[in-house]
Amino acid sequence: MAVDTTKNPVPFEMAQIPGPEMAKAYNTAVIGAILKKAKRPLLVVGAELFEDPVIFDKAIEIGKTGVPIAATAHSIKGFVERGYTDNVTMIGLHPLTNYLRFKDWQGLDGKGQYDVVIFMGIFYKFASAMFSALKNFNRDIKRVSIDRYYHVNADMTFGNLAFNVDQYHEAVDEVIAKLKG
Amino acid sequence: MDKMEGSFALEDMQNVQINIGAIVKEVDEWDQPMGPFPYPSIATLRDWDFKIMNRYKVFYSPICDRCTLCTYGPCDLTGDKRGACGIDQAAQQGRIVLIAVLMGCTAHAAHGRHLYHWCLDKFGDLPFKMGDEILVDAPLTRTIAGIKPKTLKDFGPVMSYVEEQVSQLLACTHTGQEGSFVDFESKALHAGMLDSLGKEVSDLIQIVAYDMPRGDEDAPLVECGMGTLDKKKAILITYGHNLAGSAEAMFYAEDNNLWDKVDIGGVCCTAIDNTRICEGIGHPDKEFNDNYRMVGTKAKIAGAIGWWRKMVRGDCMDCIMVDEQCVWTDAIVDAEKYKVPLIATNEKIMLGLPDRTNDPVDEIVDDLVNFRMPGVVVLDPVKAGEVGIKTAIAVKPKRAEIREADPFLSEEDFKKYAESCTYCHSCQFVCPPHIKIGDVVRAAAEGNYEPLSTTYEICVGCRRCEQVCPQDIPILSLYAYANREYIRNQKFKMRAGRGPVKDTEIRRVGAPLVLGTIPGVIAIIGCGNYPNGTKECYDIAREFVDRGFIVAATGCMAMDMSLYTDEEGKTIWEQFPGGFDGRNICNIGSCVANAHLHGAGIKVATIFAGRNERANYDDIADYILNKVGACGVAWGAYSQKAASIATGFNRLGVPAVVQSHSVMYRRAFLGRADKREDWEIIDARDGSKVYCEPAPEHMLYVAESVEECMLMMAKLCFRPSDNNSGRMIKLTHYCDISMKYFGCMPPDWHVYVRHASDLPLKWKEDMMKELESKYGWEIDWKRKAILSGPIRKSDVSFDPTNIERKIRVKK
Repeated sequence: MAVDTTKNPVPFEMAQIPGPEMAKAYNTAVIGAILKKAKRPLLVVGAELFEDPVIFDKAIEIGKTGVPIAATAHSIKGFVERGYTDNVTMIGLHPLTNYLRFKDWQGLDGKGQYDVVIFMGIFYKFASAMFSALKNFNRDIKRVSIDRYYHVNADMTFGNLAFNVDQYHEAVDEVIAKLKG
Repeated sequence: MDKMEGSFALEDMQNVQINIGAIVKEVDEWDQPMGPFPYPSIATLRDWDFKIMNRYKVFYSPICDRCTLCTYGPCDLTGDKRGACGIDQAAQQGRIVLIAVLMGCTAHAAHGRHLYHWCLDKFGDLPFKMGDEILVDAPLTRTIAGIKPKTLKDFGPVMSYVEEQVSQLLACTHTGQEGSFVDFESKALHAGMLDSLGKEVSDLIQIVAYDMPRGDEDAPLVECGMGTLDKKKAILITYGHNLAGSAEAMFYAEDNNLWDKVDIGGVCCTAIDNTRICEGIGHPDKEFNDNYRMVGTKAKIAGAIGWWRKMVRGDCMDCIMVDEQCVWTDAIVDAEKYKVPLIATNEKIMLGLPDRTNDPVDEIVDDLVNFRMPGVVVLDPVKAGEVGIKTAIAVKPKRAEIREADPFLSEEDFKKYAESCTYCHSCQFVCPPHIKIGDVVRAAAEGNYEPLSTTYEICVGCRRCEQVCPQDIPILSLYAYANREYIRNQKFKMRAGRGPVKDTEIRRVGAPLVLGTIPGVIAIIGCGNYPNGTKECYDIAREFVDRGFIVAATGCMAMDMSLYTDEEGKTIWEQFPGGFDGRNICNIGSCVANAHLHGAGIKVATIFAGRNERANYDDIADYILNKVGACGVAWGAYSQKAASIATGFNRLGVPAVVQSHSVMYRRAFLGRADKREDWEIIDARDGSKVYCEPAPEHMLYVAESVEECMLMMAKLCFRPSDNNSGRMIKLTHYCDISMKYFGCMPPDWHVYVRHASDLPLKWKEDMMKELESKYGWEIDWKRKAILSGPIRKSDVSFDPTNIERKIRVKK
């Protein structure tokens, strides 16, 4: 039985109501399919991974499917410690989002702009604001959150799973399975 | 040019008077001509702003996608939509940013205006003297207004200028006015500059009028922390930023020998300014000087703004005087609930209380002490000070009578509340630092108070959790109960605010700063909305002072970093000297004293490099941007004042790093290292264009973690003017911080290498190998030299500028 990731679609900081356009919560199969279909996906992970280190392993699993990883804040350290840095790039979330909003940016690998960004393990308020920047200033990029929060400024997100760690882990696993399948 | 106004009568012609609105005279005390931009207007420095924004792209992250400011609204501006008035999302964000910066600017400037009037009333028109070691005595005033103030009254026209500009700028935010985001941002940068000027005037007035330290690296250590307030005495808390009323309370206590009956504890910047009073070079009024010498050290720092509600719940006060800025607007609600009389002393905050300014002191005190009213307004600072002291002393026993013996929750109530938690997580949905409050309370119910202790300093005291709790659990009171021993023992030392940087200090550090051998100035400024507790300010300060940077702090950060000690029990102020020098840490002063950090940058340009500062803002800012390795950090910024402070730093060419909550400010200035053309700089020697490394790479940057903050600060101290030794030192710190906290080298270290002697000795061999193998640079291994690869060659004579008029000889 798949985790119902469409439940509880309430902004994690409840007063964060931006306007008419708000994210829809999707189930893991749909999100997994979108990631799989993406031509130039980018997984963006942040410092909250240190609070739930098993997510590093899940990020590495995603990385191994060929999705490049942008390690924001000091999260690169978690990848270095696990000996996986193949397609992981250390970059701040703020400059990364600044690059993402420009259509002429050639990406971390110089091969072109991304079409889907996937956020995971980033301080909620910061991630929300960066989704907002993309929502308003580069709408060509699909914004996906597989974090434990309902992300109001994403296109696609989980509902809030912040209070059920096991379910959250399971949901990420389901996305990975879909991505691999 | 100075303007003089006046009138005179002609001899033998009674009743004939000629009024002269303004005669202009060239004053002889300047050794430099009037610069190009005295009293710049909105558009005067627009070219400079555009230069900044062409390199540092304006980046918006809207918090609200709508505009609700006029009756056509709400308008949805998401994406490429426009509002009914035609405004687009970027311009709307710029408009909100400008409003926020103006809020901050006016808070500082209005503070200065109040002090200007009050100090002239109390002390008269005192001579403006900063002592023998500060001859460049009002650097922002000189650079922006082009004048040298001689007395306090000379600051009047400067304040009037700020006020007029603010009025013009605020008008631009009305519907149907400005419509371009870049022009909104140019205006915001203008407001940021005005903010710096207003701050300078505010602090200089109080330094002179209250004889505060003038660049004293040995300013005294003062007591800091809730535990320093002696509960055997009455405790008067003075809360806000404007010392007028608080100072009078201190003078009243001194005049009447009441210090054995009352403790005065400051909260927020009033705390810092209390402890600066009469610690300077001597007041020109001998009687005042004799009466109040070193009275400042008798006041205590109760704490920074983030501790306010913790102090309330921690029973740290018998009477409150509030003045202006950063006063939580429900202070009167708490005051009434906990029977702590409140006196509002400034027109800006009156909280709906009756104005008792003209009533006799004893009548006011009687009403407060008998709780006939929770608070009063007393706008006369002298009377307010007397009321404050008398009320605190008289109400203390009364408060004890009407309350339970223990002001904290009883053990029984604590357990009852903790056990009533239903683990619904409503609290966690609203907690800014994301404390798992449900887990913390559940642990407390099981008798484990440890989580309540470990998260106590992470809690920012916003009380949003209590408001949403369906069980009405007073969560802050649970914290107070579990941390009551900590509260009683919170006793530390902070160095009193030293004031401006001395000219002599600038002479000492000017060359090493510009060449890079002192790796930078780290300015730690701002408030108390920290992402992970107050300790991170201490960690940032310690990291950089240990590395030999010049570290300067102001405001709440200076207070909060005082709450930690080393293994010998010493606070950071006791560990390091207080000069403006490498491996020093100086507390410059309160919020308005931030202006002296701008001033230090200006002084490097004028004292060390001989640049004319007079009405020459863009030239000075250009010098700072290219040659002075300095970076601000506002790690707990919450207020609009922080927005104006950072924006003022940015216009002067100083980058700033802020914490992740600061995305609420909506706007950043971020460079694009991948766009070579953005980093083209003029060589002032001959006007040739040089592509430089991105230094500094960003102007306003949000960091996600303290580790990222420290790395970015080290990086933002790079400047094109660094010599090889300086660049090597800066690169060493940049790489070392990265290795320490990130476990690897930063991916762009090679970008900052111009010559083999730029390379850190520690990794030189490996780096040269990597430059060759990974980046394809040509290396002469025999000579250990780089033959090709760098963005530009190292050139000790390179004179970088962004301003065409600085070109000496055109090629």
